[in-house]
Amino acid sequence: MTDKSEVRTALYGQTLIAGLWRENPVFRLLLGMCPTLAVTAAVKPALTMGCCVIFVLLCSNIIVSLMRNLLKPHLRILMFTLTIATFVTIADLFLKAFVPEMSETLGPYVPLIIVNCIIICRAEACASKNGLIISVIDALGMGVGFTLTLCVLAGVRELLATGAIFEIQILALLKEGGWFVPWAAMGMPVGAFITLGLMLGLVNVITKKDA
Amino acid sequence: MTLQHCGRKGLVMLKIKHFIQQSWLLIVASFFFGLLIAVTNAALSPKIVQNKINKRNRLVGALLPDAKNFVLDKEIEIESIQGKKEKIEVYRAMSEEDECVGWSFNADGSGFADKIELVVAVDKDFEKLAGFDVLASNETPGFGDQIKYDYYRDQFKGAPAEELKLVTSGEPKNIDAEIVAISGATVSSEAVVEIINSFLTQIKEQMQQKGQISNDRQE
Amino acid sequence: MDTLNILLIGFISIVVVKNLVFTKFLGICPYLGVSGRIDMAFGMGMAVTFVVTLSGTLTWMIDNWVLMKLGLEVTRYVCFILVIAGAVQLVEMYLRKFFPSLYESFGIFLPLITTNCAILGLCLFLNLWNINSLLEAVVVSFGAGIGFTMAICIMAGIRENLNMADVPKCLKGAPITLITAGILALAFMGFAGMIR
Repeated sequence: MTDKSEVRTALYGQTLIAGLWRENPVFRLLLGMCPTLAVTAAVKPALTMGCCVIFVLLCSNIIVSLMRNLLKPHLRILMFTLTIATFVTIADLFLKAFVPEMSETLGPYVPLIIVNCIIICRAEACASKNGLIISVIDALGMGVGFTLTLCVLAGVRELLATGAIFEIQILALLKEGGWFVPWAAMGMPVGAFITLGLMLGLVNVITKKDA
Repeated sequence: MTLQHCGRKGLVMLKIKHFIQQSWLLIVASFFFGLLIAVTNAALSPKIVQNKINKRNRLVGALLPDAKNFVLDKEIEIESIQGKKEKIEVYRAMSEEDECVGWSFNADGSGFADKIELVVAVDKDFEKLAGFDVLASNETPGFGDQIKYDYYRDQFKGAPAEELKLVTSGEPKNIDAEIVAISGATVSSEAVVEIINSFLTQIKEQMQQKGQISNDRQE
Repeated sequence: MDTLNILLIGFISIVVVKNLVFTKFLGICPYLGVSGRIDMAFGMGMAVTFVVTLSGTLTWMIDNWVLMKLGLEVTRYVCFILVIAGAVQLVEMYLRKFFPSLYESFGIFLPLITTNCAILGLCLFLNLWNINSLLEAVVVSFGAGIGFTMAICIMAGIRENLNMADVPKCLKGAPITLITAGILALAFMGFAGMIR
């Protein structure tokens, strides 16, 4: 009995960690690029988007996992899409009600979570084939991995673009008597693409060293 | 004849049964999700509406300090800079003693990079601008972005509510119909002046036509 | 004359000034995946243009004529994605029946387009930008597809040349593509302020 539960816990642990690094959705699986580039101009929107994605991933994985034995194969994708669209609508309503400024900054990228490849891929690859607990852990792992990635990217971009992280000034700006001249380009599409590209290159270097 | 008829009917029934068998989950799920969305919406929409009102109160309240709440006065149809017809809501700002202390409306137009959305406040006779605030803009950070900052915005507070002119050099502290552009951001500065000019003149004209503001009116 | 003006400006602005890939970050996944060769890129671009024009028009009609009239805006996202999925399915069936050779050349792109952010993104932008007339919605949707095709073909051309260049090993593949896209985005920034 102990053996079985040990194996179970090991599996849960592995699934959780996988989403954080080995199968990190942005850096390794190259999924969910659109929101990654769009919302990482500052840490606050990145964090908000990450939390939304965690919420939607969790709910959709739970529902899909509960339904997995009842799904007809050719209606499968439609069911996934319907589920995800519902929860994104709910998440959007919550955002508009409780954090309206963030809702405006994120704008149309919240509903774009519906077509975010991460969620559909996890529903297809994991939740429709596994039990409830594994699906939940997988959702958490992937979601947290995605959020952390977004925050790291946003941190780099915000620091270079404004000298602040999460709106807390870290580097003293030149016009306020300091030394740092902000790199405005980081806040714009240019900075997004280039930062992500360089980060991916960095990740490639690190993993080649490991392998 | 009867046998064929029965056969055809049976086929239809079979088809319906097959259809329901295949998609009952879809139908049930749709109902369930629809219910979920409807419930969430019903619970949260008053708060969402309140957020919008709070935002307007906050932004215009900073420009018209005596205003305590805003009443939708009328919807005026104007022609935007691109030639499109838009309906603009004009709000009357009421003080605590229920006196009209000013008016406010939203204005938008295209800036350098993307759309610029402003909320504009004028005094109660449409004589002077109380100022504006930027609701949404995507201008270049460090350049066009400065339309949000005091250097530019303060020039509008108290400016006459008529055709404003953008100049590239001058004394920004002089409050008159000349607005000094932000250096390095002429297009964005010009865009704001044009938006305010276009919306202000059209709304003022229509308000005067409707007899709202030709003289001192107190409700 | 005025309508033609608005349409022309709308078309140019979405192809160049507000290009969906370089300024709105939409459609990046297929962009990275398919821009390896010009012929594939062009095929993908054409497929996207076809679907986006159709979906943009349909969703605009449903949004303005049904959802807003009945006050059902909260179901907007669900309706849009269902319409898009349905439109892609229809296009696929239609092509398979009447233009099998075209269907073959599109290959796997067609089903993949449903999850293309650009389509749903455009439908939402049509709403955000207060597009008031059906004709304008059609023109803007078509323009969005053309803009995407242009962006992906430019990238494909560059990538074909990059294959022969000496790219550091860690940057090969997605990283160098992203960096190139960044430089292209910088170039496209020059178009900002073109439309007044």
